[in-house]
Amino acid sequence: MADSTEVHVPDIGDFDAVEVIEVLVGAGQQVAAEDPLITLESDKATMDIPAPRAGTVEKLLVKVGQKVSKGTPILMLAGGEAQPTAAEKKTEEAPAPAPAPAKAPQGDAKKQTPAEPTPPAPAAASETAEVVVPDIGDFDAVDVIEVLVSAGQQVAAEDPLITLESDKATMDIPAPRAGAVEKLLVKVGQKVSKGTPILTLTGGAAAPAAAEKTAPAPTPAKTDAPAPAQPAAAKTEAQRPPPLPHPSQLQRTGEAPHASPAVRRFARELGADLARMRGSGPKGRILKTDVQAWVKQQLSAAPSAGAGGIPPLPVVDFSKFGAVETAPLSRIKKLSGPHLQRAWLNMPHVTHHDDADITELEAFRQSLKAEAEKDGVRITLLGFAIKALAQALKKFPAFNSSLHPDGESLILKKYYNIGIAVDTPNGLVVPVIRDAERKSISELAREMGDLSARARDNKLKSEDLQGGCMTISSLGGIGGASFTPIINAPEVAILGITRARMTPVWDGSAFQPRLLLPLDLSYDHRVIDGAEAARFTAYLVKVFGDVRRLSL
Amino acid sequence: MPAEIKVQLAVLGAGPGGYAAAFRAADLGLKVALIERHAALGGVCLNVGCIPSKALLHVAGVINEAAHAKEIGLGFGAPKIDLAQIRKWKDGVVGQLTGGLAGLAKKRKVEVVRGEAKFSSANAFQVEHDGAAVSVQFEQAVIAAGSAPAQLRGAPQDARVMDSTGALALADVPKHLLVVGGGIIGLEMATVYHALGSRISVVEMQDGLMAGADPDLLRPLAKKLGAQYENIWLGAGVREMKAAKNGVQVSFDGKDAPKSAIFDKALVSVGRSPNGARIGADAAGVAVDERGFIKADETQRTNVPHIFAIGDIVGEPMLAHKAAHQGKVAAEAAAGMKSAFTARVIPSVAYTDPEVAWAGLTETEAKARGVAYGKGVVPWMASGRALSQASPEGVTKLLFDPETERLLGAGITGRHAGDLIAEAALAIEMNADAEDIGLTIHPHPTLAETLGLAAEVFGGVATDLYAPRRKAKTG
Ligand SMILES: Cc1cc2nc3c(=O)[nH]c(=O)nc-3n(C[C@H](O)[C@H](O)[C@H](O)COP(=O)(O)OP(=O)(O)OC[C@H]3O[C@@H](n4cnc5c(N)ncnc54)[C@H](O)[C@@H]3O)c2cc1C
Repeated sequence: MADSTEVHVPDIGDFDAVEVIEVLVGAGQQVAAEDPLITLESDKATMDIPAPRAGTVEKLLVKVGQKVSKGTPILMLAGGEAQPTAAEKKTEEAPAPAPAPAKAPQGDAKKQTPAEPTPPAPAAASETAEVVVPDIGDFDAVDVIEVLVSAGQQVAAEDPLITLESDKATMDIPAPRAGAVEKLLVKVGQKVSKGTPILTLTGGAAAPAAAEKTAPAPTPAKTDAPAPAQPAAAKTEAQRPPPLPHPSQLQRTGEAPHASPAVRRFARELGADLARMRGSGPKGRILKTDVQAWVKQQLSAAPSAGAGGIPPLPVVDFSKFGAVETAPLSRIKKLSGPHLQRAWLNMPHVTHHDDADITELEAFRQSLKAEAEKDGVRITLLGFAIKALAQALKKFPAFNSSLHPDGESLILKKYYNIGIAVDTPNGLVVPVIRDAERKSISELAREMGDLSARARDNKLKSEDLQGGCMTISSLGGIGGASFTPIINAPEVAILGITRARMTPVWDGSAFQPRLLLPLDLSYDHRVIDGAEAARFTAYLVKVFGDVRRLSL
Repeated sequence: MPAEIKVQLAVLGAGPGGYAAAFRAADLGLKVALIERHAALGGVCLNVGCIPSKALLHVAGVINEAAHAKEIGLGFGAPKIDLAQIRKWKDGVVGQLTGGLAGLAKKRKVEVVRGEAKFSSANAFQVEHDGAAVSVQFEQAVIAAGSAPAQLRGAPQDARVMDSTGALALADVPKHLLVVGGGIIGLEMATVYHALGSRISVVEMQDGLMAGADPDLLRPLAKKLGAQYENIWLGAGVREMKAAKNGVQVSFDGKDAPKSAIFDKALVSVGRSPNGARIGADAAGVAVDERGFIKADETQRTNVPHIFAIGDIVGEPMLAHKAAHQGKVAAEAAAGMKSAFTARVIPSVAYTDPEVAWAGLTETEAKARGVAYGKGVVPWMASGRALSQASPEGVTKLLFDPETERLLGAGITGRHAGDLIAEAALAIEMNADAEDIGLTIHPHPTLAETLGLAAEVFGGVATDLYAPRRKAKTG
């Protein structure tokens, strides 16, 4: 047959406008029947389109990137054997192309044997067609063990027609399309192979529902020599796999909670209903922790539960008592509030009070002032306080620590960073001065000035606020006699300072006017005990009282 | 033994349910008495059930393997069967296990009371043994009295008509054995006697052997038995059974069965009936139904809240592992724990050759109840291990929820199917889905691999089989 024919994209299933990702042959090339010609790729799969017969490629009609559908011409094939291949013949006999096993399908695509080389009009609806045994794999001369339809019977596409049994497997051969069985061409016990006519089918849908035909997944059989059909026994044994029921037609089973037996038992012990929970595990698996969380939530949601925890403050309608206005909390207050509350609730606070005599220190400061101001630096009392505190921390390492989360040990810090609570229009911030013990009073004063200015201008960076060891909260510029500062957790102590005042102090023979600075040391009593706190404060008092010590 | 014993928990029956309940309760601190009429503990399972039958099936397995060894190049010749030694070995296995139980009871200070027990009130058993009586007074009780072989109506009292216990005694090897009832117990015993040399005929009322298992799972077994046995009459029943001089004369109903035939012996394995009617339950107010079952709720409590019931006596499936599990639940509930029997699946196993095992949803049941499912099937011809140990007759089938893809049921036929089904049971209890199973690396080559493969077949991602999914999964 020297005529050239067009080769088309066969029925490739539910795909339309599929991209050609590879052209595997060139013009002039000899191809054998079944040689792959082009590769298509849909979003679901890639598939090769094989040559329907042997021949020479005369002309390519597609190129890479082009989108093709069923019927799109691929190439012109010339010459080759005149005789159609077996596959072709079968295809012509029954409009059910048998699938060739895919070599390496991606996803679930199946390779298809090609449809008709010259696309004939599909068999007319009422036409009678022979249904043949499709490609059933490496089997030959397989027993028909059951005929599942009879002449005159209406079948739907995919309905099983006959059951075959090899020494390896049993399989049902499904109807390629809907129709009425006209004549049966096989009987039980007969041996059939690929291509053997099974029956003739008439009427029904003309379009071959062939796209998805596959040889059915084999069901097992024994491996002994195939027994000749044994009517009675075979009947009961030849249970064919039922077609999968369509989920939508069937009721759903009561979904069991996605939880393991141990979690189910745990939930039962707590009286928790798994059906009402959402799982946090993979694929929504309910974990033990989910059960615990759910129970906790139920308990806290329960009104007036007499359970522990902190009773909420009563809600009061203040407008009953007069005009009110609601102003939002500043961002800093919203952040610092919970932080302070956590510290207050978690740490047993004790505050120790003492006064430091800073008469000499103040005289010294005044003496430096004029000189420093020339350099643009304000020497403040706070600069001395930072220096003094850094020294005290060096001497009392427990104050320069944090409690380990396990509550079993202390984390002692080998650096001395002092946080300074700064009052800004937006709220309290605590910038940190690093390595305070190594800095001079004027360095500290300069750095302090810079930090405070940036704090007020909202220009602090997050690293400016991190890494503190102990904090000083000074209300000295404002007044007051004493207060109880809250520790800046996870630090373990905080030093409060209020305004120094001139006080008559008895020196043993007379009252002397001395400038006393009130010190308020709040400490975490889990870490520090009272005597230690008293010693620490006494040391600070001494340092404040003797300027020389500050330079030690 | 004193005339009166006072305990917190009295357990009636020392089978797998009863001893599990007694031991667990003792471990939870209760003072426990375990009442058993037989000298040996262990109940049906250890003495005349699971264990001796598995011992004899091992014997049958060795015989069959030796017979097939020719194919793989080994000749052993015909076996020399020493029945007395087989019995001795089997009894030794049983003795070892029941003796072990007695030791465990002692260690736990569980008081074993020997005798036939009946309730005398809602708080006491009257236990009689050798003419002596003991009253066991309890705060709570567990009924674990089990079941006994069901009788065939009109069957003669004759040594040649056996129940499972008689068959396990292995008095001799009849030339032609009729097995009445093609359920698990009947087929297991048929397997034993066939291997020992009996010709076997099976008569079964139902249209298939082993009710409950899916037909496709039974197919490899049915084919093998069809070739091995003299007759398998399905949809047929025994009309009459008479003791004749030269054997047991049996007449049948049913289209394939002969009108009448004579057998050297007959095994009646037509099911088991619960012992509920024989324990004086009335005296305690415990309700027993007309068949002898006692209903229990999920904490194993009967209608009388301080009296529990477990095992064969509460209903199907009559299996030892169910009894033991329920026993523990009852003990824990009695000790005040909030335990309940909430297992999703109870696996069934027939230790035939090949074995058939299933757990959870079966296809038959799914169809009857209209439950949607998808499946992955792997014939063992595709298993390198099955082939390389010359046992290719097998199949592994997994049923999945088509939407969630969770495993709903599993069926396995083939060598060691009973061991293999445990993975599926765990997977179901853990709500594993097809991917969970398929992505679990199964060692190669093993039979267990077929479970992973079946999950992959369902998912359309198997490479060891050509079984692509009908529909693409994505999109
Ligand atoms: C041949 C055979 C093979 C089997 N194989 C298996 C198997 O492989 N796997 C499996 O899971 N199951 C198997 N079974 C079933 C299994 O044996 C039972 O399910 C299991 O024994 C039930 O346990 P139970 O505790 O409920 O009762 P039982 O084991 O029946 O124990 C009840 C006990 O109570 C005692 N008792 C009863 N009434 C009284 C009374 N009034 N006074 C004192 N004592 C009393 C009995 O003597 C008995 O010891 C088999 C059964 C048979 C017959």
